[in-house]
Amino acid sequence: MSTATLDAERRFKTTFFGKAMAAVGKAVAYAVMGFFALMAVYPVLWLGINSFKSNAEYQLNKMGLPQEWFPINYKGAWELGDFSILLPNSIFYTVVGTAGVVLLAALSGFAFAKLGGKAKGAMYGSFVVGIMLSLSSLMIPLFLQISQFDLSIGTLLHALGLVGDPMSFHLFYNTRFGVILVYIGSGLPLAIYMTTEYIKGIPTALVEAARIDGASYWRIFTSVILPICVPIITTVAIITLPGIWNEFALINIIVGKLELQSLPLGILRFSGSRAADYGKQFAALVIGLMPMLLFYVAFHKQITKGVSGGAVKG
Amino acid sequence: MASALSSAKKEISRAYWAFSLPAFVLYLFVFAFPIILSAVISLSNYKGGQMFGGEPWKLTGFKQYGILFADPAFWQALKNNIYIVLVSVLGQLPLGFVFAYLIYRKVVKFGDFWEGILYMPAIISVIVLGIMWKFIFASNGLLADIFTAGNMRHLVAAIDAALKSGPDLSDDGIRHILKAMDPSVVGLLGSDPVAGFKEQLLPGGSVHISDVGAFVAALKNYAPKWTPDFMTKQDAAMIPIMFVTLWCWTGMYIILFRANMEKIDHEVIEAARIDGANEMQIARRIVLPALSGIIINAAILCIAGSMNQFSLIWAMTGGGPMNVTEVLSIYMYRTATIGVNYPLSNAIAMVIVVFSFVLIGLTKVAEKGLGGTEE
Repeated sequence: MSTATLDAERRFKTTFFGKAMAAVGKAVAYAVMGFFALMAVYPVLWLGINSFKSNAEYQLNKMGLPQEWFPINYKGAWELGDFSILLPNSIFYTVVGTAGVVLLAALSGFAFAKLGGKAKGAMYGSFVVGIMLSLSSLMIPLFLQISQFDLSIGTLLHALGLVGDPMSFHLFYNTRFGVILVYIGSGLPLAIYMTTEYIKGIPTALVEAARIDGASYWRIFTSVILPICVPIITTVAIITLPGIWNEFALINIIVGKLELQSLPLGILRFSGSRAADYGKQFAALVIGLMPMLLFYVAFHKQITKGVSGGAVKG
Repeated sequence: MASALSSAKKEISRAYWAFSLPAFVLYLFVFAFPIILSAVISLSNYKGGQMFGGEPWKLTGFKQYGILFADPAFWQALKNNIYIVLVSVLGQLPLGFVFAYLIYRKVVKFGDFWEGILYMPAIISVIVLGIMWKFIFASNGLLADIFTAGNMRHLVAAIDAALKSGPDLSDDGIRHILKAMDPSVVGLLGSDPVAGFKEQLLPGGSVHISDVGAFVAALKNYAPKWTPDFMTKQDAAMIPIMFVTLWCWTGMYIILFRANMEKIDHEVIEAARIDGANEMQIARRIVLPALSGIIINAAILCIAGSMNQFSLIWAMTGGGPMNVTEVLSIYMYRTATIGVNYPLSNAIAMVIVVFSFVLIGLTKVAEKGLGGTEE
């Protein structure tokens, strides 16, 4: 068969048969996409709608719009769910935790990328390994560790006559300090990996030139490295932030008392104690998901970029 | 000269340690020490007292691991972890690939919009989502209502069909209606359901239906009620969890695959198109091979994610009923908090950690084998 007939045959296929197939394919593609998009959105929308129903109406009418709107559910959920405690706590943990992760990642990223030492390979390697370690598996060991640390420090301070009861001394357990340390530590591996790989791309000549001009390493970090790192710092911050905001497994074992609880902890507690109070229950869930939803709408582009950048390594 | 060089070296080393030590200490605090501690406790008879200078405890060897591997709850939990891996690898990855491809090849327009919507669940707290889905899957939840409403519509349609030819119900029409009714209600109508229907359910005992609306309203409640008992039935309890896992994290793989598809040399695909290749062929012959390394990485990510799974199941079922939805991390948590058996609990932690290390090894092997170019 000559190429000309082959080409003609192909052209025929692409013009008639092909076009029809492509149109059908497109329709199917849109239908599937639309179905899955609806599946993603509808449950959340349903939750939002039902948060405005009275308890009695929810039981009779689960699918439709409320006949009578009950925005008062939100007031009830806010008060009963102690959201005036949970929300500031979550904001505190997330802001301080994210800032800590980003700062420490930039510092050690600079060290790993530009300032080798003998221990560099092993240290950087251990962070990379940490990306894949299951943090959930560490919650019990971590709990035992911090209670032992607290107990040991308490005993020591007791021997020095600084505290009365060594058992009641807590530096890590049930303290904001403990939560923040654990959150920064758990966010570091991925953050350090991403930051280090980025700083490796910065020409070493820039660092050397600054050295010759007599700048200290701290000076080089603040005035050469940091300004160049703004994009990667932003990306790391944007993928670290939701992780801390939504974290549950670790804070669940570090924090016992209400005054220190974050949103996920408080919402689960609220859900357990008022399982049949549907309207308020749903309102509490909506309050719980709203901040991240707004964050997602605002930073959707950067989050997408961060997810693909951070997940490649796994 | 020599001293200047060595002082420069000293300075660089000092800077290195000053910059990297804070992060490294925290890393030791959160990852390394707990793992070492966990390994030691798993080999001991430690009961939770003061570790240094307190209540005596000693190493007892690998006893706990023997107990662990003999415990059916361990295998149950491991099986559930594997279920989650399966739904991730066989569900999330193929779906993620298909959606990423549709967006990448612009088969559907507004790709960013679809991608944005499908990723949305992954950004919300799994505690919130878990509780939400619990209400949807509950025996009196949304899903039950949707199915029961469908059954009702079916019954109403059967009544309409039976009354199409006129206001009088025929025996055949009644049989038609009976078929759409709840079998347990039909059972109450006696050995001859048609006669029973006429006797008990017709207004005034007449087959002449003058008010169709009232008749429908009276019969509507006899539609079969669908009460899903996912959360109470043992073998079905994992289904909602697997569904929500799929629902929640497929979007992540769409983003990951799409970002890597965008890196494929566009001219290769253009050339294939000019040669007459259709979308199916481009997907299979060009895009899939180009992404093979990423797909293997993603599969390992799925397994790691399943090992890390805790909060979603905790919010949805708490591991119940009768521990049938436990994964390893929940089993570990239960052993430590309810059983207060720290050695056993830490043996479970060690199993998960060892598993994680095997996965990390696999990633390295996969990277080498496929000539991966990250790093």
